[in-house]
Amino acid sequence: MAIAEDRRRLTTRLAVLRVSTAAAFGLLACGFWFFQVVQHAKFKEMAENNHQRTLPLRAPRGIIFDRAGRLLVDNRNSFNISIVREHTKDIDRTIRVLAAVTGVAEKMVREIVDRQRREPSYRPIVIIPDATLAQVAAVTARRLDFELPDVLVQEVPTREYPDQAMAAHLIGYVGEASEEQVSADHLASGSIVGQFGIERVYNKLLMGEDGARRVVVNSVGREIRTLEEVKPVQGRRVQLAINSAMQKAAEEAFRAYGYWGSAVVLEPKGGDVLTLTSLPAFDPNDFATGIDRATWSQLNTDKLRPLQNRAIQGRYSPGSTFKVLLATAALEEGVITPEQQIFCAGGGTFYGRFFQCLGKHGWMDMRHAIEKSCNTYFYTVGDMLGIDRIHKWGEQLGLAGKSGIDLPNEVESIVPSQEWKRKRFNEKWYAGDTISVAIGQGMVDVTPMALAVMMATVANGGTRVVPRLVKAYDEGNGWQPVAVPPNPYPPVLLKPATIAAVRDGLWMVVNGAGTGRRAMVAGREVAGKTGTAQVISLQGRERARGKTEQDLRDHGWFVFMAPKDNPEIAGVVFAEHGEHGSSSAMVAHHVIETYFAQRDGLPLPPVPVPPVTTPATPAPARAVATVGPAGGTR
Amino acid sequence: MFERRLYHHIDWALIGAVGAICAIGLAMIYSTTGGAGSVYWTQVYALGLGAMALVLCLTFDYRSLADKSHFFYLAMVIALVGVLFFGAVRGGSRRWLDLGAFNLQPSEFAKATLALMLAKMLGEERRSALTNTDLAIAIVLTLVPFLAIARQPDLGTAVTLLPILLVVAFVAGMPMRYVYTMVLLAVLAAPIAYKFGLQDYQRERISTFLDPAQDPRGAGYQQIQARITVGSGGVWGKGYLEGTQGQLRFLPVAHNDFIFSVLAEEQGLVGVLVALGLYLFVIMRALDAARLAKDRLGAYLVLGVLSSFTFQVVYNITMSAGLAPVKGLTLPLMSYGGSSMIATLTGFGLILNVRMRRFTN
Repeated sequence: MAIAEDRRRLTTRLAVLRVSTAAAFGLLACGFWFFQVVQHAKFKEMAENNHQRTLPLRAPRGIIFDRAGRLLVDNRNSFNISIVREHTKDIDRTIRVLAAVTGVAEKMVREIVDRQRREPSYRPIVIIPDATLAQVAAVTARRLDFELPDVLVQEVPTREYPDQAMAAHLIGYVGEASEEQVSADHLASGSIVGQFGIERVYNKLLMGEDGARRVVVNSVGREIRTLEEVKPVQGRRVQLAINSAMQKAAEEAFRAYGYWGSAVVLEPKGGDVLTLTSLPAFDPNDFATGIDRATWSQLNTDKLRPLQNRAIQGRYSPGSTFKVLLATAALEEGVITPEQQIFCAGGGTFYGRFFQCLGKHGWMDMRHAIEKSCNTYFYTVGDMLGIDRIHKWGEQLGLAGKSGIDLPNEVESIVPSQEWKRKRFNEKWYAGDTISVAIGQGMVDVTPMALAVMMATVANGGTRVVPRLVKAYDEGNGWQPVAVPPNPYPPVLLKPATIAAVRDGLWMVVNGAGTGRRAMVAGREVAGKTGTAQVISLQGRERARGKTEQDLRDHGWFVFMAPKDNPEIAGVVFAEHGEHGSSSAMVAHHVIETYFAQRDGLPLPPVPVPPVTTPATPAPARAVATVGPAGGTR
Repeated sequence: MFERRLYHHIDWALIGAVGAICAIGLAMIYSTTGGAGSVYWTQVYALGLGAMALVLCLTFDYRSLADKSHFFYLAMVIALVGVLFFGAVRGGSRRWLDLGAFNLQPSEFAKATLALMLAKMLGEERRSALTNTDLAIAIVLTLVPFLAIARQPDLGTAVTLLPILLVVAFVAGMPMRYVYTMVLLAVLAAPIAYKFGLQDYQRERISTFLDPAQDPRGAGYQQIQARITVGSGGVWGKGYLEGTQGQLRFLPVAHNDFIFSVLAEEQGLVGVLVALGLYLFVIMRALDAARLAKDRLGAYLVLGVLSSFTFQVVYNITMSAGLAPVKGLTLPLMSYGGSSMIATLTGFGLILNVRMRRFTN
């Protein structure tokens, strides 16, 4: 009885256990069905996010060569150490360990992370751009210890400028794309794009196409295998018109003589820019891996404005170099003949005011007036021409307006006209205004580039050229010339008499009794003209109040072409506060000499030694507190 | 001892199902540990030893084993206490006795021993109903090994002893009011415990558990990863050795606590249902053995062994799907673990023993 009851109870309770077990298994099956069927897609994606990473492969930018195929801009591999917050468990710990391992201030790392807090968490935050090998080794070792799964060491191609600051304003620099650039050009955020100079203007050519690598990683972020790789495509190789030997010579000479300034040398026929320098400069290498704030603010606040490209952004009075324009205009307009003489008694009175000449030259014809830079002669000629014809020839020869060079932010050069003055100052043009303009003072304000174009135009017989920096590019199938927009200026032939007279005059400046004798290169028939641009008149008022600490010494100009009869080069040297044109002529001498030596396969001239005893030369190497691209080492 | 006719009463279906589960487990260990490494071979040896223990168990009548249950129990308690003093420390707890050639985890054997002890005590034919004294003695008998194991500390294994007590007491006629009271207490205690008994981080763990996206790197990491592992498997799975979660170690201790998740990942819902079916079959078949048992001793013994096994299977699989908080409980027969494998197969030896001898005197 008891046993039977016992049995029954056992059977019942066994049934309870049986049913509950079956129910438990049923529920489990439902749970798995829910995850594996209903929510499968979601979990599948999560699993992929877990183990798949898409790593961008940055495309190297195109390499830049000079006209002779000498390498100007290259790429090197650098290492970026970044934090990928997506994989971070404890950001404070990561920051602490990373700072300790790499020897970077923890505060700085934290600042960088904080600054980019809003960026999507999968995007690596670059903490140490261009890390040293020791830092890379330290981090890599830690990573293998599973300590820093969220720290990424990436090898990235980085711009390298082997000549440092040479031609910095021309070549430019790169930097991370701004938000506007990202949206305007449909770039990936964080892309490196050209921000200045050639790097910016020809960014589309130079920038390659980034690739990507999809990899499988394990739970500590170590790459296990590659699923897919799209190789980056390097940007196009670009060949510049620059002659780097001349470029180097110009910068060397500036440094040797202790001037800042600018030099532009063009090929008169095609407008190829052989040299374009602006000093002081900056080192584009500083920008290649992201410029640090201190260097950036120093570049920006430096009184010498190293970021300004003086060749196209600096505007100055051309001084006596303007007489080249006046002479050409006067002869072409027929207001005077080359042989016609004007008497210089040390100046002349025009419209009731006496205008001075620097000497008492007596009877002057065109050639000698250029040679001696006789103001009286050109006051008279200017008066005969009138301002509007001067302006017309300014445009004709390329001294007015923009040169149209393929660099951004060029400023307009001004050769005034009646209309210009009315528009600009709402004032009538007085005939007396023309007299100061005639010797390149007053309302004339031009860039070195504009003067270079003027010289090239006079040198090639009258057709205004558009200076060009880039000759060709290579997509991997050979060099192709870049598409050059047709020259907007119609071909012009100056009268042979004009050309002969101007060239003779300029030749005499250098080779005769003129002011440009320092530019004389034996056997090279250099023709040129010096100029002095007054700084004092512009700044006089401020100086009177004692409020300016600026250097008030005059600027020195030298414009030139060579050889005289069939010019191959034409250009300008501008020596900031060089006091007199002969300072510029010395720089030009070295550049011209270098050109011919290279052309003829001769040894290049040695770096000039500044003449110590010459009174015309200011004390070289004024102590200037600027970031040292001048002779800068890196 | 072993008579020839007993051979015909061996439950070959149960043995087959157990073998199949072990084989699946071995295959998954191979997959998660990246081939036939030391873990894999240890498991193979344990399987061999376990099979031998199972056969050895079959040769003695369970009744004569039960008669000596107090010796076994005593030996077990001594071993557990010994572990506390002389055990090898690994991962912060003292669970293993270093026996030179191999390490033994006595707590794994505590389950079968406790089942034998309780079955003997409550299954004696002369007792008609479960008295409160019996219950009190049973509780004490359970608490001794429970506390010893909890001290190691290994709360997970200790907890697996409780189902033995509960189930054996239940079938032995524990009054239903006790059962109801326990259920009621559990239901009532849950919200109170949630509100007052838990620390903030524990509550956070529960809320992340309910909403996986909340804190994928923090408290709920393993649960989330377990769900991702299971869910990403889909119906047909990613294929053997093709799982990413287990292979790339997003899921910790994949060959151990989370072996079922990896099975779900690589073999999909299909593999899950097959494995669940095998386990369910084994349990149902063992319950049959309890029903068919010749005496209460046999029935209780089977249920004692089975309850611990079932509890562990259900909990581990629930945890594998990320549906239960992570506790270090392995999946019997599948997870890596020599002692566990041998002890579990010994337990099945006892179950088979009871069924085999259902007609003997």
